[in-house]
Amino acid sequence: MTKNHNLCRRRRIYAGCLFFLSISLTLSAQDLLVSGQITNGQLPISGANVIIKNTNTGVVSDFDGRYTITARPTDSLQISYLGYTTLIIPIHNRSTINIILQEDATALGEVRINAGYYTTTDREKTGSIARITAKEIEGQPVNNALEALQGRVPGLEVTQTTGLAGGGYTVRIRGQNSIAAGNEPLYVIDGVPYDINSLSNPSLAGLVLPGGIINPLNTIDPSAIQSIEVLKDADATAIYGSRGANGVVLITTKKGEIGKTTMSFDVSTGINSVDTMTTLLNTEQYLAMRKEAFANEGITVYPAYAYDINGTWDQNRYTNWQDKFIGNTGLNNTFKSLISGGNEMTRFVVGGSFMKETTVFPKDFNYRKTTFFSNLGHQSPNKKFKLQLTTSYGQDKNYLPTSDLIRVAKFLPPNAPQIYNDEGNLNWENSTWNNPYAALESTYKNKTGNLLANSVISYRFFEGLEFKTNLGYSHSNLVEKQANPHTMYNPAYGLTSTSSNALKNEGKRSSWIIEPQLDTSHNLGKGKLTFTMGTTFQEQNMEQLGLYASGFINNQQINNFSSAQNLKILNEANSQYRYLALYSRLNYNWQQKYIINLTGRRDGSSRFGEGNRFANFGAVGSAWIFSEENFSKHLKWLSFGKFRASYGTTGNDQIGDYQYLSNYNVSNSNYDGLIGLYPSRLYNPHFKWEKNKKIEAAIEAQLLDGRISFEVAYYHNRSDNQLIDIPMPGTTGFSGIKSNLNAIVDNKGWEMGIQSRNYETDFFHWNSSFQLTIPKTQLVSFEGLENSTYSSQLVLGRPLSIYKLYQYSGINPGTGLYEFVDYNGDGEITAKEDRQLIADVSPKLYGNLSNSIRYKNWNLDILFQFVRKNGLNEFYNTEPPGFMQNQPVGVLDHWQNTSNPGYLQAYTSGRNFNAYYAHIKFTQSDAIISDASFIRLKTLSLSYKLPLKKESATSCTLFLQGQNLWTLTSFKGGDPEQISGFLPSLKRYSLRVKIEL
Amino acid sequence: MTPFRFIKEIRFFMKCITLCSILLLFLGCEAFLEADSPNDQIDQSDVFQDEAYATAAVTNLYSALRDGVLLTGKTNGLSVLFGLYADELDYYSSSGSAFEAFYNHQIMASNTNVKSIWDASYNLIFMCNSALEGLDSSQNLSPSVKNQLKGEALFVRTLVHFYLNNLFGEIPYITSTDYVQNQKVSKTELEKINQMAIQDLIEAKAFLNDTYPSTERIRANRSVVSALLARVYLYNEKWQEAELESSYIIDNTAIYNLGPSLNEVFLKSSKTTILQLKPKKAGDNTDEAVSFLFSSAPPPFIALNPDLVSSFLDNDSRKRDWIKEVTDGDQIWYAPFKYKQNQNTKASQEYSVVMRLSEQYLIRAEARTHLGNLIGAKQDLNMIRNRAGLEDTTASNSSDLIEAILTERKFEFFAEHGHRWFDLKRLNKAEEVLGPVKNNWKITHILMPIPETELLLNPNLAPQNAGY
Repeated sequence: MTKNHNLCRRRRIYAGCLFFLSISLTLSAQDLLVSGQITNGQLPISGANVIIKNTNTGVVSDFDGRYTITARPTDSLQISYLGYTTLIIPIHNRSTINIILQEDATALGEVRINAGYYTTTDREKTGSIARITAKEIEGQPVNNALEALQGRVPGLEVTQTTGLAGGGYTVRIRGQNSIAAGNEPLYVIDGVPYDINSLSNPSLAGLVLPGGIINPLNTIDPSAIQSIEVLKDADATAIYGSRGANGVVLITTKKGEIGKTTMSFDVSTGINSVDTMTTLLNTEQYLAMRKEAFANEGITVYPAYAYDINGTWDQNRYTNWQDKFIGNTGLNNTFKSLISGGNEMTRFVVGGSFMKETTVFPKDFNYRKTTFFSNLGHQSPNKKFKLQLTTSYGQDKNYLPTSDLIRVAKFLPPNAPQIYNDEGNLNWENSTWNNPYAALESTYKNKTGNLLANSVISYRFFEGLEFKTNLGYSHSNLVEKQANPHTMYNPAYGLTSTSSNALKNEGKRSSWIIEPQLDTSHNLGKGKLTFTMGTTFQEQNMEQLGLYASGFINNQQINNFSSAQNLKILNEANSQYRYLALYSRLNYNWQQKYIINLTGRRDGSSRFGEGNRFANFGAVGSAWIFSEENFSKHLKWLSFGKFRASYGTTGNDQIGDYQYLSNYNVSNSNYDGLIGLYPSRLYNPHFKWEKNKKIEAAIEAQLLDGRISFEVAYYHNRSDNQLIDIPMPGTTGFSGIKSNLNAIVDNKGWEMGIQSRNYETDFFHWNSSFQLTIPKTQLVSFEGLENSTYSSQLVLGRPLSIYKLYQYSGINPGTGLYEFVDYNGDGEITAKEDRQLIADVSPKLYGNLSNSIRYKNWNLDILFQFVRKNGLNEFYNTEPPGFMQNQPVGVLDHWQNTSNPGYLQAYTSGRNFNAYYAHIKFTQSDAIISDASFIRLKTLSLSYKLPLKKESATSCTLFLQGQNLWTLTSFKGGDPEQISGFLPSLKRYSLRVKIEL
Repeated sequence: MTPFRFIKEIRFFMKCITLCSILLLFLGCEAFLEADSPNDQIDQSDVFQDEAYATAAVTNLYSALRDGVLLTGKTNGLSVLFGLYADELDYYSSSGSAFEAFYNHQIMASNTNVKSIWDASYNLIFMCNSALEGLDSSQNLSPSVKNQLKGEALFVRTLVHFYLNNLFGEIPYITSTDYVQNQKVSKTELEKINQMAIQDLIEAKAFLNDTYPSTERIRANRSVVSALLARVYLYNEKWQEAELESSYIIDNTAIYNLGPSLNEVFLKSSKTTILQLKPKKAGDNTDEAVSFLFSSAPPPFIALNPDLVSSFLDNDSRKRDWIKEVTDGDQIWYAPFKYKQNQNTKASQEYSVVMRLSEQYLIRAEARTHLGNLIGAKQDLNMIRNRAGLEDTTASNSSDLIEAILTERKFEFFAEHGHRWFDLKRLNKAEEVLGPVKNNWKITHILMPIPETELLLNPNLAPQNAGY
């Protein structure tokens, strides 16, 4: 819309120029009439500027992209169009010059960048805004747009919590600001704030999707997205006030394009699998370990329950349980289609997609997704009235086992019995094990629907005054069921389907928003003043209903809750959140040289008690485009240069609703016919917003005609007034209390990005980009930390993501047991005094290197992601080697006798209490920390565009794409990014065909 | 640009801003921020103004015991955990569990079961204190309702402290909801704990009537408090007071008697019951039955220790009626069979028994022995023996009698709320009895460790119990 607006204005200016020229100049004899057509290779480009280089003479191409201009044969034509690379073409006496413009997303000062309540350009922006466009998203075979951001944006960390489709993501913009309140960025989709919190109940899904987190953005098809802007500094985020502290992610869906109606079909099929597994002991090694463990303790008669070595189980069996449980290949099939078109007045786009992905688990678990979106834009002939209508609906269904199989795959003894007996039934080996396939009988299903609708209506009273209203509505609902048929248990319990049970959770969330806004702009002095002011009214309602059913006449009825013998309501809850705000922005741009940008917001939120509901937030941003100064204008190598700086405050209100009330909860724990009533929490009505101050300075430049561009930024965010659920000792009756704490958390760091266009000819293009982030999180102060409940988790001057650990000092050669550094020298190793070693698992630096090469119809994009950090290794959360659990091969290097001390202590079956105790301390020592740095071939996309007839707009492109293809790391505990106990991000290959008509 | 023009532009701009500022008026409505209150929560001050709500807040204390902590029949209750810890139950499930740590005496300060006992107990104490404070400030409730509820809340609060004290030794005795105090509280001295417990129970008795507040024996009345008080006196070796309290119940033969059959002891209508916990829904039976019973061998989780089973006399009908044999055709395992219903029935048949008359007889027998009334003591002991089909005791002097009573308690209360463990502990027999059967036994195992996190969060709770 804005793009069009600018274009029209520019076109008028040039038309004026032409008129002026036609009366003041006469055609000289040497002059030449040059004409031709401007296209993007397929479609004509209307409104492109054609200027004779180093003059003010120019024309604009017409609706068919045609132009005619008078020039001297020795002149050069400079052709430019919004979003395309400007070309300079010497005339060389030709009278017909057809021009193909190349799209250029990196062209500064051209592409409008969405900053939420206003738009800006790369040239004029005063804040830190990173942008990912459809092109980058499309190049990756991912299920969620957040995954496409992974490793691509400086200052943005995206971690997938599970490799399963339909799961969750952790997203942090410039680190963790809050010790205990939410650290999620604010998501805004086409102007509507979108609550990213999962509607799932962790007790249903939590063992397969970590924390029960289901990201609602799963139901938005990544290919429906035009661009994602990530707002980082105060200048960009202060206008979001109390919700801007953790940064803002703006998602803009695709809009229709002027021109012929086009249709595209996009079909892909792919496979996915777990790339890195931990190497575990085989049966021989495992049994040797077990035997040695018992021998160490002088036990010769193996106990009755040691089935693996006492002869109950076959000692020659070997099963690679990892292969069995997580080593399968998942299949992904996707179909997408899009129709787009329009004219000057009305533009539209309609799209839809269907996707199905199976898992790496056994059996037919799968994820299915259907999405639909549409956008309609219209403007009146006089261009005063404008309307945008956007609707999208997505539905997904996930069918999974109740528990992630990666855990059992790692711990199950390698000689555990066979899954099925000879009759094809589940084998319980005389009740000597819990058959893990029986656990697969317990299944989890969910279904999510997400509706997003919004309209933006604007009216321009006159040039410089526009009224705009954003009306949005969103609705999400989730239904999930966990079915636990009695067949998941050992038949020895003698259970029948009357013991089968099922859980159901229904969550609904709807939200509406109204944002009337006035925009004015005016030339003032030699500059331009822009002012925006608006208000926000928002209401969000949430409902949750949990049911438990048990006792079915048979297990086929398990999904039919009305047939259950017992049905109870576990919880029924609702909550409401209301939010009110006034925001404004004042921007003054002096001759494209000096820019100052003031933003502010006054926020009110129902999440706080009376008297603490309102707060003010604001920021100042400024930019100096020094390449416009006289001293630098003559520098040929410098095409653009800018300093920018910003300072301001934002807030955080992610603490949940109603926390300031002193309430009793109603529960279903009936007693003698009465409902259960119990106190909800420790009562504190006085807590307020968490505040976050941000400061940033950056330099941006383009060198050598834009061949090389770079940006370097330094940021420093400081959060205080920390909203914390201060941990309380159990003697208070609760584990914590909501309160503001006088603690300061700093996040600072460097962000760098370099792009270069290495090589450019008509048929060969090679672009590279390199990005690097060096973040640092630090706890600056914490009132009374030493005596507080946080003293075991936090240390002043250190990041928030630390572990206080014992320091492993080696193995006692005599006992063969671990020893640790006794910090206070009292002769005993105790948690409080001796867990003094601090291990930091936050990333030290991360970034990416990408290359894009185009040769004729071939296109290759490669992105390497790199992270330097420490992580929890394969010994984290393990039982002592020698227990009836499989172990990583690393345990072979162990103490055998005084001359073979090894890395790990002597094996134990558990009888040796000291060995057990030492192992527990070992798993709380620095021995569980390893270097988890890695370099990963994150994305590889190779495409070939079939050479079709030039005139036709029909095109067909073939893609071979891959994600997470290769990882270079010294880490031994599986995937260096995975969350312990859950599937890592999967390796994906996909073949894809895209046809455009 | 002329100054005039500049001013004109400024004025124009100011007009626009004024127009925008009209939007500010919207902000007048702070009332917009009044969110609807949630339907699953009730304001605390309203809870204790309404009889039904106030009663629900107090009966919830019993459901917390039934479903959550200490007396629960679930596997995290004392019956299972301390059956494993003492010599009653054997463990058969996977290695590395928190249960196994109890069975093998490998409990550490980080044990999750220990932490959840501690946390859930103090949460329950908070509920009691919140109810007591709410009832004290309530204006609308009738004095009789108020007293009944206060008596019950005091009873539960004392019961929980009593168990905590016996599990952990010195623990903080918490009597308010004030977290500022409670987060840095120190341990209460042993003598003070007993003194406060006795004082609270005496006060509770004064608040309560002889009749049960509901038709079944599922909430505290005066006898329930007396029964606990008798036990507290016994543990404190206050023999006279113990005899007095137990006699108060034993003498009330119209309400309490031993009844004819062992198979009826754990039925919901049993006359031996002093206090039982009613299941959540009609048709539900007890969690004890679910935790203990198994139908095929080898046992999937836990079973009775065969030594315990073989120590029963053959003619002891408790062996016949309260123990179930399960065999794989080769070997025999035993399940506690006091509770027989592990599935739902049309109407509930069994409730979880918390206190029953047998205990009062055995308390009085022990107290009388110490007071020198050996005849009376034998009479009480024989009441229990005879009902189990056994002849009179042959013990003749007081030390034999004490030993006989301990043995009787072992047979009578096996797999019930850790009675066996607490008896071994209070009579200093733990080392003698468990030392030979538990490989890792140490004398310091007499107390549970204070949860590690608790000491980290509140250094005033130091020192940790010896040995952890």
